[in-house]
Formats: sequence, C-alpha cells, structure tokens
Amino acid sequence: MYIKVLGPGCPKCKTTYTNVLEALKQTGVEAQVEKIEDIEEMMKYNVLTTPVLMIDEVAIIKGRVGDVNEIKKLLLKK
Amino acid sequence: MEQVQSLVNEICPTSTQVWVKRGAILVDVREQNEVEQLAFDVPSIVNIPLSEFEIRYKELAMDKELVIVCRSGSRSLRAAGFLINQGFDPAKVVNMKHGIIRWVQRGFPTKGDLSGIVDMNTGGCCDHGGNKGSGCC
Repeated sequence: MYIKVLGPGCPKCKTTYTNVLEALKQTGVEAQVEKIEDIEEMMKYNVLTTPVLMIDEVAIIKGRVGDVNEIKKLLLKK
Repeated sequence: MEQVQSLVNEICPTSTQVWVKRGAILVDVREQNEVEQLAFDVPSIVNIPLSEFEIRYKELAMDKELVIVCRSGSRSLRAAGFLINQGFDPAKVVNMKHGIIRWVQRGFPTKGDLSGIVDMNTGGCCDHGGNKGSGCC
C-alpha cells in the first residue's frame, strides 16, 4: 500500500500525517508513506483543498483532517 | 514562504491592474464570508469559493483572461493550477501573488472592512528599500 499526504505544511496537514502513522501503527498495516508539500507536485494531483489523503493514488479524504479511527477503517478496508 | 512552481504564471497586484484594464476577469476563490467582509472593487469579478471550485469552475469562460485571486495568493495558485490542468490556456490564466493583502497595501480599490488586512505587514515585491521580495514589478 502506498499512502500520500498532500498539503503545504500547515498544522492540519501535519496532523493528518501523524494520524496516518498512528493508524498504521495501531493496525499493523504495512505501507509506504510520503508527505508531499511541494506546490508543483501537489498541482499535478489537481489538489484544491488540503490536506489530501491518498491511498494507492486515489484521493480518499480531501480538505479536512482524517482522524486516526477513520484512517484505520480505510486501511483495513483495502 | 514563497512557493516556487512553473505550472502557473504569476503576476503582482500592480500588473493585475493592467490585466483588469484590458478586460481580464478577477476570479476570487475566497469563501463567501471573507468576500462579504472585504471585496476587490473591479469592474469584472466572480466569486467561486475554493470549496466549490471543483464543481463550479465550468462557469468560467475558457477564452477570457482570468486573474485568480485570494487572501494571500496560496489558494488562488492551486485554483489556477487546477484550471490549467482542466485545459485552460496557461497564457490566459494567471495567479495574483500575495492576494488581497498586497492589493490593499498598494492602495488598490476595495469595498468593505479593511481591519482584517491593515495589520498585516508582509513586506513586498514592490517595496523600495528593505525589499524582501522577488522583484516582480
């Protein structure tokens, strides 16, 4: 599984990233996690509102922080 | 922090005046409550909040010059990039750097309450002496 957190480095984006790491730890799911803060890179994904949580190249959460439990459910669904 | 990218052309508020005079449309992507507090006072402007942009961007004419604006130039940059990715002409869609904050600092026309802006002191590309910016104009 490949997870990307897109955002310009704002507190909400950092929280999302931290929540992803925590969700992975709690579920034991293995994934590669990448934080994308570069604006040009973000624009390639047509991102308007941040943060964005992408799992395997699909934007699952856009424009808000996903909490740990929500992300855990998403990870286990995959 | 200055965002460096090459997808979207960016202009400063002073250059925006030139674009507006030749008929460009300002596209304000701030949310409605922000616009109600303080709006750009130009002849041609539309407000499509970023939160609705993905649905409403088709309201924009592809053959017109569009200057995308917001509070600081960050949200508008993403919106401009989005439009270009949707097939809008990069020569006709530009981002206004530094947003309404710099617009107000330059003394360009607005309607509404300036109190949320006047305290901002971000320095600027057009400042003389102590110039912090990139020399955009």
